Amino acid sequence: MRQVIGQKRGRILLMIYLFLFPSLAIFILYRITPIIWNLVLSFQEWQFIGPNTWIGLQNYAEMIRDPVFWQSFKNTLFYFFGGTPIAIALAVLVAVLVNNPIRGRNAYRVMIFLPYPITPVAVAIIWQWLYNEKVGLINYVLRSLRLVSDPVPFLQSFKLALPSVIVTTVWQVLGYFVIIVLTGLQTIPDDLYESAELDGASRLTQFFRITLPLIRSTIFLCFIVGIINSFTVFDIIYVMTDGGPGHATEILVTNIYKNAFTFNRMGYAAAMTMFMFLFLMLVTWYSNRVSGGEAGGVSYYE
Amino acid sequence: MSKRRSHVLTHILLVLICFLIIVPIYWVVKTSLTGENLFNYPPSLIPKDPHLYFFVDVYYWIPFLRFFMNSVIVSAIVVVSNIIFNAMAGFALGYNFPGKKIIILTYLSCMMVPFQTTIIPAFLLTKYFGLLNTHLGLALPLVSTIINIFVFKMNFDAVPHSLHDAARIDGMADWRMLFRIYLPLARPAIATNIILTFVWSWNNFIWPLIITQDTIMRTLPLGLARFLSYFEDTSGQLYAFVIMVIAPIVVVFLMNQKSFISGMMSGAVKG
Repeated sequence: MRQVIGQKRGRILLMIYLFLFPSLAIFILYRITPIIWNLVLSFQEWQFIGPNTWIGLQNYAEMIRDPVFWQSFKNTLFYFFGGTPIAIALAVLVAVLVNNPIRGRNAYRVMIFLPYPITPVAVAIIWQWLYNEKVGLINYVLRSLRLVSDPVPFLQSFKLALPSVIVTTVWQVLGYFVIIVLTGLQTIPDDLYESAELDGASRLTQFFRITLPLIRSTIFLCFIVGIINSFTVFDIIYVMTDGGPGHATEILVTNIYKNAFTFNRMGYAAAMTMFMFLFLMLVTWYSNRVSGGEAGGVSYYE
Repeated sequence: MSKRRSHVLTHILLVLICFLIIVPIYWVVKTSLTGENLFNYPPSLIPKDPHLYFFVDVYYWIPFLRFFMNSVIVSAIVVVSNIIFNAMAGFALGYNFPGKKIIILTYLSCMMVPFQTTIIPAFLLTKYFGLLNTHLGLALPLVSTIINIFVFKMNFDAVPHSLHDAARIDGMADWRMLFRIYLPLARPAIATNIILTFVWSWNNFIWPLIITQDTIMRTLPLGLARFLSYFEDTSGQLYAFVIMVIAPIVVVFLMNQKSFISGMMSGAVKG
């Protein structure tokens, strides 16, 4: 820790505050102000002309009675519970495989990670086309293998649209989870496996008795990342289905976006935003308590 | 023997998984060069008579160069300002000073506010500033990112104190030390900053969607999404456009895989 001492004490203090100013200003403007503003907006009815009118808790009352809101909340949860466990299970499998001292492991890692940084809008377009009823690759493969007789309209079906979108997200995010799990695997000391081998434990036993218990906190971190992802995903759904068919793939963020910027109902959208914000805070608070401050980036402090 | 056999099994499984991951990308590249499999059924595996006409089409059909420049300008503002602002903040946090606790707490709590929960007030605020439809407005919410401040702080903390003390004895002002001593020693932090903020700003979609009204101010992802709704059937061109949007990211990734992956890892929770 550098100390603020000497004759130039005042000058150094001035420098510190000046250096902190730009970033603090941005965060106060674009993170803290919005939360307060959202809260204020959520008690108001948005007017096109003139000042907004105060309507108390009416937005919240409407929200509770709005089936579309509940559907979008349910879909968001489904998005998390449907996608994240599969992604994590796959990631653990792939990470264990890549962690072997095999040739070309770096090449495998690069290929598996490749989808993650790709522009989500582009990912959505690619997958929309893979799912296409007439010319899509997935339908072609399914029909060639005679698994289906008629082409499946993945994104137009009420039942299949949400799972299809989830598969797309898993495809994109898998590599990221693999790397997180890999960092967890690398903290396990080798001699644990060596002594297990001497005791005659099979590799499967080793996996369940050594590997899994020791990467528990890593898996927990993946769950937190997964839940935040599911609550903030927007691009892929907006481009692939725009919440349709009906509201089958409507999630909280698309619902908020539509109300705020398509129907011009800022107050109502702000109420939904407050709900989403409080829910996420609760999740972060709870996960920090369970993990002892490991999740949510708190570990970066000192 | 059994070890070698298990390695063969590992390779088979990994090749299978990589195949599933790469196929969608390969298919897009192929279609952007031939356009064939949209009209040919069954599709062929190897591109027949590849050509670049679809890329040329994209270039002329839409203001591609303009969209590209918008993306480049916004990303440049974001990347450069992130390096400067985050290094400054990360350097300042290395001192003991009154109010430090409160400031760190502010940073950490801001980190837990996902951008998606701020879109309505952020839009109203940007409108109030008169920055709708401007490059600066597009860049502003991203010009400093908390995770990167801490990345800088950790790098700076690892610099030996003797350097700081020696510079002070030589009479160098502290603010000068940041640029003369600390920044040159923090290459990994700079790399992480560049990679993370470049990917975030290049891929950003919801913010440009909200605050751009003129076609001429669109960034590439926004142009791509709109292209889809206007030219539904022009598929060869659509996939050429997809390639043109993701190419910079993929090239940057393939050129610096190691620092790219470790950089993206430190952004586990977006700041």
